[in-house]
Parts: sequence; C-alpha cells; structure tokens
Amino acid sequence: MKPGALLRLALAGSRTDTLRVVLTAVSAALAMLAILAAATVVAIPELGSSPDDAAAWNVQYTVAYLREPGLRPGVTVALVLLVIPALVLAAQCGRLGAPARDRRLASIRLAGATPRQTMTLVAVETGVASALGALIALGTYLLGRRLLHNPGPDGRLVLPTDVLPPWWVLALLTASLPLLATGIAVVALRRVSVGPFGVVRRQRAESPRIWPGLLVMPGIAVIAVLEPISAYADNRDVALPAAVFLGLVATGALMTVIGVVFGTGWISHRAGQTLARYARRAPAMLAGRRLMADPWAGSRAFAVVLTCVAFGAAAAGVKAAFAANFAVEDEANRLTAEANGEEFVPRTDLDFYYNAFDLINVAVAVAALIAAGGLLVTIAEGIVSRRRTYAHLSASGVPRSVLRRATMWQALAPVVPASVVAAVAGAALPRALFGSSVTGGGYDSVPEVTLSVPIPFGDLAMLSGGAVVVVAAVVMVSLLFLRPSTHPSELRTG
Amino acid sequence: MSTPYVLLGFLAERPRHGYDLKHAYDSRFPKAKPMAFGQVYATLGRLERDGLAFAQGSDQAGGPERTVYAATPEGRARLEEWLATVETPAPHVNSALLAKVTVALLVADVETASTYVTDQVAAHMARMRELTAIKTSPQSALSDVIAADYAINHLDADLRWLRTTLDRVSDLHREVHT
Amino acid sequence: MTAEPLLTGRGVVKSYGQIPALRGVSVDVAEGEIVAVTGPSGCGKSTLLHCLAGILTPDAGEVSYRGERIERRSEAERSLLRRSEFGVLFQFGQLVPELTIAENVALPLMLGGTGRRQAHTAALTWLDRLGVAHLADDLPGAVSGGEQQRTALARALVTEPRVLFADEPTGALDTLAGEQVLDHLLRVTQDQGTAVIIVTHDARVAAYAAREFALRDGEHDPSGVGIGSVRRGRRARGEVATEARAR
Repeated sequence: MKPGALLRLALAGSRTDTLRVVLTAVSAALAMLAILAAATVVAIPELGSSPDDAAAWNVQYTVAYLREPGLRPGVTVALVLLVIPALVLAAQCGRLGAPARDRRLASIRLAGATPRQTMTLVAVETGVASALGALIALGTYLLGRRLLHNPGPDGRLVLPTDVLPPWWVLALLTASLPLLATGIAVVALRRVSVGPFGVVRRQRAESPRIWPGLLVMPGIAVIAVLEPISAYADNRDVALPAAVFLGLVATGALMTVIGVVFGTGWISHRAGQTLARYARRAPAMLAGRRLMADPWAGSRAFAVVLTCVAFGAAAAGVKAAFAANFAVEDEANRLTAEANGEEFVPRTDLDFYYNAFDLINVAVAVAALIAAGGLLVTIAEGIVSRRRTYAHLSASGVPRSVLRRATMWQALAPVVPASVVAAVAGAALPRALFGSSVTGGGYDSVPEVTLSVPIPFGDLAMLSGGAVVVVAAVVMVSLLFLRPSTHPSELRTG
Repeated sequence: MSTPYVLLGFLAERPRHGYDLKHAYDSRFPKAKPMAFGQVYATLGRLERDGLAFAQGSDQAGGPERTVYAATPEGRARLEEWLATVETPAPHVNSALLAKVTVALLVADVETASTYVTDQVAAHMARMRELTAIKTSPQSALSDVIAADYAINHLDADLRWLRTTLDRVSDLHREVHT
Repeated sequence: MTAEPLLTGRGVVKSYGQIPALRGVSVDVAEGEIVAVTGPSGCGKSTLLHCLAGILTPDAGEVSYRGERIERRSEAERSLLRRSEFGVLFQFGQLVPELTIAENVALPLMLGGTGRRQAHTAALTWLDRLGVAHLADDLPGAVSGGEQQRTALARALVTEPRVLFADEPTGALDTLAGEQVLDHLLRVTQDQGTAVIIVTHDARVAAYAAREFALRDGEHDPSGVGIGSVRRGRRARGEVATEARAR
C-alpha cells in the first residue's frame, strides 16, 4: 500500500476517531515529557568522582535531588517509571470508538485489504498520533525551558533549565516514542483479527490460573532471604557484592509486582464466581457472570493502578523503617548524651527524608490518575460494545438502574481484594528487607535500644481505599455511556 | 379450464379469426404449451353453442377465407362475472390467476384488475390460515402436515406474485393517469 | 369477557428525525387475540410494535393498556410494565451471553423481587414446557438458534404477561426451527390466554395469526394487500383527515 493511501485510510473517520487520535497524542505527549525530564536530569554534569563528596554537588540547584549525584538516579528512575502508565493510557486510547472503527476496517477488508494491511492501519494511526504527541511535547519542553528559566536572587535554579541533553539524544528519543507506542499497540492487538464481517477478539478460553498470582510469595521470600544471607556474609567477613544485593532486591520486587499484576485475572475470575454463586439479586448475578466470562477486561490499566498501590505501600514500609531507624538513633544519642552529661540534640534534618516520601506519594498518585484514565476508556468501551445486548435488555424491561449496579459490582468486586493484596505485598517487601525491628546503640556505655517497626496500617488503608475510590469514580463517569447505549435504535433488525 | 374465458376475452377486445386467436394466446402465455388449432376451433365451437360468441363475417384480405368471430353481450356479461369471481386457492391455480389478471388488464380497467387481486389475496390468506391450523393441530398426522405445508408454500409463492403484480398495476395506473 | 380492547393505539405518529415512520396508525388488540402486523420492509411495523409496548414514546397519538394511557408515563413505569404485564421477543440478541439459559429465564422474576432459588425453579418449569430444560446450565452461545429463541420465549412468558410482542421472531431461523418456535408460542399463549402481536413480513408466519393488520408507508392499509390502487389512496387520505380532526 502506498504511504499516502495508508495515511489517508488510517486517519479517516468521524468525531470519535478525532477524539481518539487527540487523546492518544496527549498520552504520548505526557510520556514524552516524562522521558525528556529524565533525560535532562541525566544530563546534569557529574562534577566529582565519589557520590559522597560534597564538592561534587551541583550547587546551582536549590533542590537536593538535583544537587546530590547520589539522589539523581532515583529521580531519573521515578520519571522513567511514569512513562509506563502514560504509554498504557495511549494504548488504551487506541480502543476508543472501536465499534465504528471496526466497521470501517471490516468494510476495508471487504474491499480487498489483507488482515495484515488492516492491522497496519490501526498501528499507523497510533504511530501518527503518538508522533504528533511527541513533537508537541518536544516543543513544549524547549519552550518551557526558556519560560521556566528563573534564577533566584542567589543565581540558583529550582529546575534544571540550564542543562540541555545533546540534540542527537533529543532526536532519538522523539523518534523512539512513536515507535514504542506503535509496538505496544501491535502487541495489544495480537488477539484481534479483522474479517470482512467484523472484528473478532479472540477471548482466552480457559479460566485464569492461580499460579501467576502466587509469584507474590516467592518474590517476598527472595527479599526476606537477603537479611540472613547478608548476616551470614557478615559473620564470615565476606563482603556481599552490591550488584548481587541489588539484583536480588530487584528480582524479588519484580516477581512481586508481576504476581500482583497477573494475579488480577485469577482474582477477577474468583470474585466473579463468588458473586455468581451467592448473588441474591440480578445486578450481582449479572456482574459475577460477566467477570467469569471476561476476567481480563480492563486488566492492563487496572494493573497499573495496583502497581501504584504496591509501590506506595512499599514506600510506606520504607518510611516506617526509616522512622524507626531515626527514632532508635535518637534514642541512642539521647542515652549517650545522658551518659556523657551533655545536652541531647535531636536530629533536625529529617524533613528532607520525609519530603522525599511525600514526593514519591505524589508521583504514585499522578501515575494512578493516569492509569485511571486508561481504565475509564476500557470500561466505557466495554459498555458501548455491548450496547445491542443492553438495548434488548432495556426493551425487555430490565431497568437501567440494574444495569448500572451490575457495572459497578463488576468493576469493584475484583478491586477490593486485589488492592488489599497489592498493599500487603508492597508493604511486605521493605519489611522483609529491613526486618521487623531495628536496633541501635550497644556501644560504649550505651545499652542496646530496640524498636519494632510499626506496620503502616494507616498508609496502607489509604492506599487501598484510594484505589477503590478512584475506580469507583471512574465507573461512575463511564456510566454516562450507559443511557445512550440502551437507546431503542440499537434494536433495528436490519 | 380457463382457456374458453381467455379466448372470450380476446374476442371481447376486438373480433378476431382463429389464427389470430392462437397467435394472441401463444404470445401472451409463452410458458404454456402452444395452443393447437384444433383446440382453438373446438373452444370457439363451444362458445358459439353456449351463445357467448358468434361468427361475425368473413374477412378476405388477400388470402383464403377466414371466419371472424366476436363476443355476444351474454359473452361479455359472463366474462365480467368470471373476472369478479375469486379462484379457489389451491396449489396449481396459478395459471388461472395469470389468465384472469391478463384478461382483466386487456378487457377491463386497472381498477377491476386491482380489485380482483386484492380479493384474491384475502382469499389466499384465509386459506393459509386454515392450512396452518391443520399443520399445528395435535391431531394431524405427518402426512397431513406435509400436504398442508406443500399447499402453504405454493400459496405463499402466489401471494408474493399477487402483491408484486398489484404494485406494477398501480404504477401503471399512476403513469396513465398523471 | 370484557368488550373493551386490551391494548389500543390511536393516531400513533413517530418520526426518526426527518424520516416519518408512522403517520397516524390506530389499532385495537383484544384479550387473548393473535394479530399479525405485516407489510413490506420499512413500513413502520417494528416502530408500531415499539410504540405499543412502551419502548418508544410516540410523537403524537395515544397508547392505552387496560383503558389507561401509557405513552406518557416515565421510563421506569414503562420498564416495569414491560417486565410484568408485557413480554417481548426479538429476532435475536436478547439473551445475556454470560448468563446460563436458566439464569436468563429467571432474570425477569428476580427483577420483580422473587428470590433466586424460587426464580430458578420457575425458570426450569418454563424451559420444560418449551422443550429446552436439558440446556438449563448451558450458555446461549453453545445452543442452536431455535433453542435460543425458545429460551427467549420462555423469558418473555415467565412473568405470565397479558400481551406478548414478537418482532420477526423466526427471522433468523431456518424453517423447521421457526415452526417449532411458532408452535410453542401458539400453544402456550392459547393456554395462558395471552394476546400476541407478531410483526412479520412472511405470509406463512402471518398465517399463524387470526387476523392481519397491514401497514404500508407508515399507515394502515385496510385492503390488507399493501399497495395503492386509487380506491385505497382516497380512502387512506380520508382516514388521515378524520384522524386529524379527531385529535
């Protein structure tokens, strides 16, 4: 197919299609901005050799995360991680307005296009939209650098607006994003085949297995095993290589996250089974059966929300461990001061650490909101694609309130257990790493002080509760699509 | 069985001789067997005997003598009666339907043809209801059901033709009168 | 036996945007009567059915059930009517694909407040009457079209409605499967005394009804045939004028 024809066919369409292209472009732009920000942080020049050397700090920045080379990798990683929900949202947007587009694709097939050509059209649309978004992001970034370049009275900057990554890096990144987004779209469409009579989504026939979800436990176990291993190494005076240590931490964390994410299928199916068996009223019965029939609906966006919960829970656990550590240190210092007859001065620079955790929470919230956008698209699409059934049900006398309640049940039934599991799994990681109690002191005349690390129930409840609230809000917005979906015009027999 | 009426119809339109009658019949009903001359004269003889037609005279237009026949007033009356009568709905009545509609358009006006078709449709539907009742009755044996079904399907085919014909006739009427 | 018709429509008018579907149709349906609404495609048959069943609100005209006007009632009230006093049967697409056959049939009862177990039992009884009880735990996708329609019929009749509305119920079925559905429909509605309004373009299906109500171009066609001879044209115009005066 000639590129011109390809472009024309890919971008043909109505208002919904334009909306879809715009939303995809916006998500791609968000992802691009995150990447550019990360690239900028990476581009801040390394001044010294050792990360602990205060002389190596880039003092032109007021913010410690940009100043201290030791902290910057963390910032970079966090920014790169933000790309994931944005790209997932871009892929989800590709499903918006799918029924009309599916009909168009089917008629193109009927006119003689091969299946591969029609899939290419879909991929091209995503590619073009994300290229558009990437370019807009690049422009916003370059413009923003100029506008936000605002040195304070002492000449220091809040944002790294004095640093620009090399132009070839910028070009490479701007070109890679659309390719990456297109690749994701192609993978997302692998179960879709376009025939001349319509688009068929091959559903997974078998019910989800439990084993992916069970990965959570080995994941935590891997982390839990680190402490004994390092204690063992200490006893033998063998230094545990940092790479091995980090590698094990990463593996354990990854297994846990994968377990949480892939376990959603099993959780949804199970939740559906329970609802279907014990439901007294129609909405729960409808929701339960629907979950059993299609447990993976919306799972991608939902997975990102769950990962945010797990991440936030891990951060809360780390925060609790740090707080316990500081408390123990303070206590030890106090006892030392007492023993020496000096005045005890508690640490006052803890704000820095607590601010870090607050920033992490903000990042987690932002990622969750972006993922919620993807979830909205998926749920709305689910409603719209079932409109013929809904219209027939409504015409047969099933009230819209029942359909609304069924949709609510269907979305929330897996969310509640899954977010609890995600929170618990996330909190278990730092607990396994740092242990359930911290010890300090035990030197000179200072007795050993031991404090148990509290489980941050409050934070965990807020995280899982927050996930449930966000999903509930998303469902309520998507229910706006229900009324037009029950319109009698869908009853036409031809 | 409707052949006498068809010939009568031709005669009512205008007086004709035997060869002309055969030619007219064959061209109007191309699917039927071509009419034999013997049958034409036999039918003409019967019509004459029944007082529905009479020999008008001879036509001698540069060829052998040919008798020209015409319809009598009684013949016309009988024809109108036949046109106003509905055929008993049965599977092999279609040739009679076609004959009736053709003659009506030839001899009478579009309204007569429409009225006939409308009445025939009602009769067909009534018969179909009766046959459906037989088909759905628990007392009916398989052979009854099969026979009823056969009749229903053929009547359905007739119905489709009748409705389409009425469409065409009304189009024609609109063309002629606007 | 009440002399008052069970369901009436008077001068029903309905347009889809600029396109008029019904131009003023009046019809009466008596209790226990079976009426076939016929006509060529696009003549407004389905629209008339939807207006009579309270699925659509007509632009003008009245629809009365048991002497009370229903066309202006709220969607919630009409929805209640549709699942208790009325039963609706479509050509396809009305079964919930994720629910089992028995659950599909039990659904209207559950919506009416019946407990799940009780509704399930009632559903099985109806499935048995229609000869599909052996499919109770199957999903709709796993059974044949005729069996799906019989399930849908069971669902329409499970609340023992007074009127059954059927829109081309055999349109997607082969001849024998369609006959089976119609046989069951006839038998059960006669047993229950349910009135039936069946929309069809097939004369063989219309022959199952005692009476035919023909439509053409959104209007009633009294000749029952469906096309304009001069006679029909004049009469139809007169009818519309009378209706306009009466409104």
